[in-house]
Amino acid sequence: MSAAARFDEIVHAPNRLQICAILSAVDSADFATIREALRVADSVLSKHVRVLHEVGYVDVHKTTCAGRIRTSVSLTSAGQTAYAGHVAALQAIVNNEGLQPGVGLQPAQP
Amino acid sequence: MAPGEAATALTAIGVSRSWLSDRVIAPCWFHPAFGLLAGAVIAEAEIRSAMLFAWSVVTYTIACGALMWWNQQRVGVAIQYFDCRTRAVFATHVLALTGLITVACWLGLDQKIHGAFLVAGILAVPLTVVFGRWTDRLLRVRLQAS
Repeated sequence: MSAAARFDEIVHAPNRLQICAILSAVDSADFATIREALRVADSVLSKHVRVLHEVGYVDVHKTTCAGRIRTSVSLTSAGQTAYAGHVAALQAIVNNEGLQPGVGLQPAQP
Repeated sequence: MAPGEAATALTAIGVSRSWLSDRVIAPCWFHPAFGLLAGAVIAEAEIRSAMLFAWSVVTYTIACGALMWWNQQRVGVAIQYFDCRTRAVFATHVLALTGLITVACWLGLDQKIHGAFLVAGILAVPLTVVFGRWTDRLLRVRLQAS
């Protein structure tokens, strides 16, 4: 991953990191699919998606299919950048590379 | 943050990606079903009925569409299935099937050899399965690496 290492506290929460990991590999994912991946309740997932949505990291789309409302979530370009930077920061920590002062371990301000 | 905590987070990402690739990859019967559909259409040409063949092509198209729609509902994600590699595999698959049908047409219609379309239809099944599974493998690698 070639993004600049940037630790992001919004992304770092375990459930939100998993949400971003899934969304970064696809165009969009159904709410139910993400819930199944995380094995959490609707309310828990809603809370995390709302946090990501409020900082502009995800878009939430609602469509009606056969009379049922289907909610899907996708990562925005800001979300892609934040996720890639966060993964790069994690890899730098693991590789013990150290991060430039004032860049790597400073939480990103959304 | 301690390196151990960062490693745990990276492992969690890997687990999520692995889960996703398992979900996106089609069930084991999916490609054989496509193969049987394609094989049935090709083999059915042995009957030499234009009307029946036209209906089988229509049925094949609808069945393929239904299978893909069902798989999309099952997976629950929208994804770009085709990148340069999977597109190349798909193009090779289409060319291989086209070659098979061309040979069957030459043998069956020109050389009047009975059973040419039947054999081509039977061969189309494993051909479709091999190319389908190949595409799945490439997709799995892409999902886990990205």
